[in-house]
Amino acid sequence: MQTYAKPKSIKENSSFTFCSGCDHGLAIKLVAQVIDELNIQRDTIAVSSSGCSVFLYDFLDVDCVEAPHGRACAVATGVKRAHRAKGNNKIVFTYQGDGDFASIGLGESIHSALRGENITAICINNTNYGMTGGQLGPTTPMGQITATSPLGRNKEYHGFPIQTVQHIAICEGTCFCARVALYDIKNIYNAKKQIKKAFEYQQKGLGFSFVEILSSCPTNWKLSPIDSHKKIEEELTKIYPLGVYKDIDHE
Amino acid sequence: MTERELLKGNIAIAKASLIAGCECYFGYPITPQTEIGEYLSLEMQKRHLAYVCAESEIGAINMALGASAAGAKVMVSSSSCAVALMQETISYACADELPFVLVNVMRAGPGQGYIYPSQGDYNQATVGGGNGDYHTIVLSPSTVQECADLTYRAFYLSQKYRNPAIILADGLLGQMSESAVIKEYPYEEIDNSDWILNGASDRLSRNIHSLEPSQLKLNEHNVNLKRKYTLIENQEPMYEEYFCEDAEIIITAFGSMARYTKEVVNHYREKGIKLGLFRPITLYPFPYQQLRKLSYSAKLFVDIEMNLGQMLKDVQLSALSNVQTAFIGKPTGDWLKKEEITGVIDNLLKDKNANIR
Ligand SMILES: Cc1ncc(C[n+]2csc(CCOP(=O)(O)OP(=O)(O)O)c2C)c(N)n1
Repeated sequence: MQTYAKPKSIKENSSFTFCSGCDHGLAIKLVAQVIDELNIQRDTIAVSSSGCSVFLYDFLDVDCVEAPHGRACAVATGVKRAHRAKGNNKIVFTYQGDGDFASIGLGESIHSALRGENITAICINNTNYGMTGGQLGPTTPMGQITATSPLGRNKEYHGFPIQTVQHIAICEGTCFCARVALYDIKNIYNAKKQIKKAFEYQQKGLGFSFVEILSSCPTNWKLSPIDSHKKIEEELTKIYPLGVYKDIDHE
Repeated sequence: MTERELLKGNIAIAKASLIAGCECYFGYPITPQTEIGEYLSLEMQKRHLAYVCAESEIGAINMALGASAAGAKVMVSSSSCAVALMQETISYACADELPFVLVNVMRAGPGQGYIYPSQGDYNQATVGGGNGDYHTIVLSPSTVQECADLTYRAFYLSQKYRNPAIILADGLLGQMSESAVIKEYPYEEIDNSDWILNGASDRLSRNIHSLEPSQLKLNEHNVNLKRKYTLIENQEPMYEEYFCEDAEIIITAFGSMARYTKEVVNHYREKGIKLGLFRPITLYPFPYQQLRKLSYSAKLFVDIEMNLGQMLKDVQLSALSNVQTAFIGKPTGDWLKKEEITGVIDNLLKDKNANIR
C-alpha cells in the first residue's frame, strides 16, 4: 500500500493557512516534491512576493527572501548573480501571483526572461488580486465579475487580459515555459512534471524557465472548491490553453 | 594603489568600491553619475563579478536587495529623480536589515529638473521617501579624496549595521577632477555568516522578510530597529570643524557647498572676524551634539545650501536658544560664490538685532 508522506521540504508542524479549496497549498506542495526529488533543498533559495504567496517561507523549508510587490524576478536575479560571483551554483526560484508577475512586476519578469536569467519563476494565475480581496487584475477574463469590475470585465472599460506564458515564450532568453492546471489528478501530475523540468533546466544553466499555474480562488470567485475547479476546466482552460509553450530541448 | 592620481569623483567612487570588495553592481543610466556604471562595466566583467544593466532603477535596487540577502557586497549608483524611484525597496532593505551602498550623485529637481548643481536630496536621503520608521546612513563627501574614503566607510558601516548606506555626492564632485589617493580598504571585514541566504546545508532554513502579521512582533521589530538607529546616532556622527574653536558665527554647509564656504571663512578671518565652518560629514546620523556645543560660544549659525533650506532644520534643532539662525541658498545654477555669501553675511553683521561683535 502506498502512503502519503509529507515532502521533506515542507516544514515540520506547518499547516497551510490558505482559504479552503485554494490551489496555493497544492502548488507549494508540488514545488516541495520537486525540490525533494532533485535533492536540492540545501542549495535552493526561494523568493516570495506580495500576495497570498508571501507566506511561502512559513511552509517551505528552504532559505527564502521576500521581494517587494512585483520585484521577485529582480530580487532573484540579485541572489543568483551574487552567488555566481562568489563561485556558488545555487537554485533560485520565485513564487508569485499573477498580479505580482504580470502586472506590477511585468517589467522585471519580461526582462529577466530576456536576459536569460538562469532562474525559475512560478506564477499562480487565479485571475484576480487574491490577497486584497479579489479585484480586477491583469489576467481577469472578459466578463468576470470582481470587486472592482462589479458589472464584469469589459473591453471598452477595462481593456484586455494578458496571456502571460505566451509573452514569456517569445523572449529569447526563455528556455522553458508551460501553463498547467491543478483541477484533476492527471493535471496535477503534469504540473509537477513541468515544474520539475523548469528546475532541471535551471540546473543545466539553460536560461529563464517559467510555469504559470491556473489556480482556484474559491473565496473571491464566490464558488465552492469543486465549482472552482470546474470553472478552471470548463472556462479558464479555453481562455488560457494549457501546454508547453517553449522548450529549447525540443526545437 | 596608494599613488596620487588625478581622478573624477565618480571614478574615485567606482575604484574605491572595487577595493572595498564590491561583488555586485546594478545600474540604470542617468547623468551626472554615468562614469560610475561605465567604469565598473568593464572592471567587474574582467573580475567575473556581477554587473547587470538593469531594466529600471526599480529593477536595480531590487537586484541589490537579493544580492545583499545572498551575502554579497553590493553597490548601486544613480541620481535624484531616479533614486526617488528606489524608495520602496530602501524601506524594505532597512526592515530586512540588508546592507548595500547606494550612491546618489545629485542633480536639480523637483521632478526631472536638470543636471545642474543642486543639493536638493538632503531630505530624500536623511528623512527618506519610503514608508515606516527607518533610517539610511548618509555620508556626504566634499572632495574627490572623500569620495573614495567615504565609499569605504559606506561599505563598512552598511555591513556593520546591516543597513543601507547612501553616499550623497553631487554633480560637481562627480564630474570634477582632483588629485586623490585610492588607499587600501582600512576596515575590518564583517562576518555575515549568521544571517545570509546561501542554502541551508548545515543549519535550519532562514527567511528574510518584512511582512509581519503579529502586532507584537512587528512592534518589537520596530523597537529593535530604533535601538540600532540610536546606537548609530551615538557612535557614528562625523564632521569637520574649520576655525570653529572661538567662532561667534558658524557657517554650516555640507558636500560641495562646504568647499566654497572655506574661502568665506578665510575672508572674514583675515578681517579679524571670528567666523568658522561646521561641516557635517554624516548627514544621518546628523552631528547634533557636536554642533550644539558650538552654540555655547556662537551667536549666529548661517546655514548655506544649494537648495531652499533642507539641512536648515537640523541646524536649528542643534542651536540653543541664544543662537540665531540664518539661511543662504538657492535651488540650482552656479554654486553660490564667495561674494554672494559675504554680501549677505555683511548685512547680517550690520544688523544690530543680531547682536554680533
Ligand atoms: C507596491 C504595493 N502595492 C500594493 C500592495 C498591496 N497588495 C498586497 S498583495 C496584493 C495582490 C496580489 O495579487 P497577486 O499577485 O495576483 O497574488 P494573489 O494574492 O492573488 O496570490 C496587493 C495589491 C503592496 N503590498 N505593495
